[in-house]
Amino acid sequence: MAVLGTSVQRSRNERRPNRGRTAQIRRIVLVVLVLVALVLLTISFRSPTSGPLHGIQGYGATALRPFEVAADRVARPFRDGYDYVSSLTHAKSQLKQAQKSVRQLRAQVLVNRKAAQELAHLKALMHFEELKTFPKDYTAVNTTVISYATTFAQTVTIAAGSNSGIRIDTPVVTADGLIGHVTNVTPSTAQVMLLNDPGSSVPAVDITHNVTGLIRKGPHGTFFLDNVPKEAVVEKGDEIVTRGTVDKRYPDYYPRGIPIGSVLSASPSDIATFLTVQVGAYANLSSLDVVAALIPNSRK
Amino acid sequence: MTFVDGLKAAALLFVAAILQVSVFSEAHVLGGTPDLLLVTLVAVALLRGSVFGATGGFFGGLLVDTATLAKLGLTSLVLTLAGYWIGRYGETTGRDRAHAPFLSVGVITILYAVGVLVIHFVIGEPAPAGALFRGLLPSIVLNLILTAPVYWLVRRLLRPLDRGDYATEVQLLG
Repeated sequence: MAVLGTSVQRSRNERRPNRGRTAQIRRIVLVVLVLVALVLLTISFRSPTSGPLHGIQGYGATALRPFEVAADRVARPFRDGYDYVSSLTHAKSQLKQAQKSVRQLRAQVLVNRKAAQELAHLKALMHFEELKTFPKDYTAVNTTVISYATTFAQTVTIAAGSNSGIRIDTPVVTADGLIGHVTNVTPSTAQVMLLNDPGSSVPAVDITHNVTGLIRKGPHGTFFLDNVPKEAVVEKGDEIVTRGTVDKRYPDYYPRGIPIGSVLSASPSDIATFLTVQVGAYANLSSLDVVAALIPNSRK
Repeated sequence: MTFVDGLKAAALLFVAAILQVSVFSEAHVLGGTPDLLLVTLVAVALLRGSVFGATGGFFGGLLVDTATLAKLGLTSLVLTLAGYWIGRYGETTGRDRAHAPFLSVGVITILYAVGVLVIHFVIGEPAPAGALFRGLLPSIVLNLILTAPVYWLVRRLLRPLDRGDYATEVQLLG
């Protein structure tokens, strides 16, 4: 009984907040955050490229841009080092292939030069009017990739937006070839949907055999030239470029003549309706750094 | 849990979100991609509980959606639930076990991927489940590799709380 008279240190449990109230706060926080996320998602889904929320997102993207650029610059030496090591392993086989291509291209250049002279002469004679072609009707806005999509969509964000003349559907290329088109734009950044996005579909043409089709995502980083009739002739090594607008009423995102890739294989299948044409893209979509958005000269 | 803790957690998640969209999203290893933001969020939620986890997940997701010009709210929604759920685990005595961060990261990587897949499917966007599940195992491994250094760093910045600070601590048996 002596303990009754002594001073006892206050138990820690007595300082604990009320259990019921804390649990209530916790649940309210969760419900409010989930509801806000759902509201944002709904508004964003209904008007993904316009409206006040898109404007706020644009300001946010502009504010985040310096941080993204800084992170990219910090990571650049490591990324370059990795690319250097991985490219070394392929260098030998690529050199052999390149030497073979150079020999073929040298011969082709002579033929093309003569054909180009004849074409120019014939066009002048016929007063031939043609649609926009790449690159003469377009100016490149060179920019860098500052962020990469984190989930399923194969998109990247570039550090140039509507202030540089970029609009939705603007085609984007690298020095090697086409990579995609702009699907969302803010004053200082733009989102580019890449060719390997499941939603991407590019009208293309095999310039060797003048066979048209649609470039779609294929397996293991390759692409399919889809919708090619079985009777069409397509051979390994044929060059695939963008088809461009065929009918002025239905303008294409891409001007004619942007290189996409070359045919890896072409084979008919008993069950498929069309020829199975596998295409390897020229541009390396998994390692994008500097890209160019093509702005029509008429918009400048 | 103080205001300073909130600032530290916000700074950590901000840096993780920026690094995720600028650097880590581009790193593809055997079809998998490391997710620094998710790992950081798990560490914060384990050490600071469900309210911190949910709030951190919401704003971290918002940063990612803003930076990538994706649909606002999509990543926020999944990360809010992920942060809350791991935060609840962090409010149990199970958080002190050595395997807690690794177990949390492994489970949340799977649930996060499935959650994003389901939302994409519901809103009618392409949701290639095959590609997701092919890259899931490498993603889990990459996230587990990140877990040790990230958890160590977060633990240094956000000291584990005393048991008395957890108002609704649940004792795990076994």
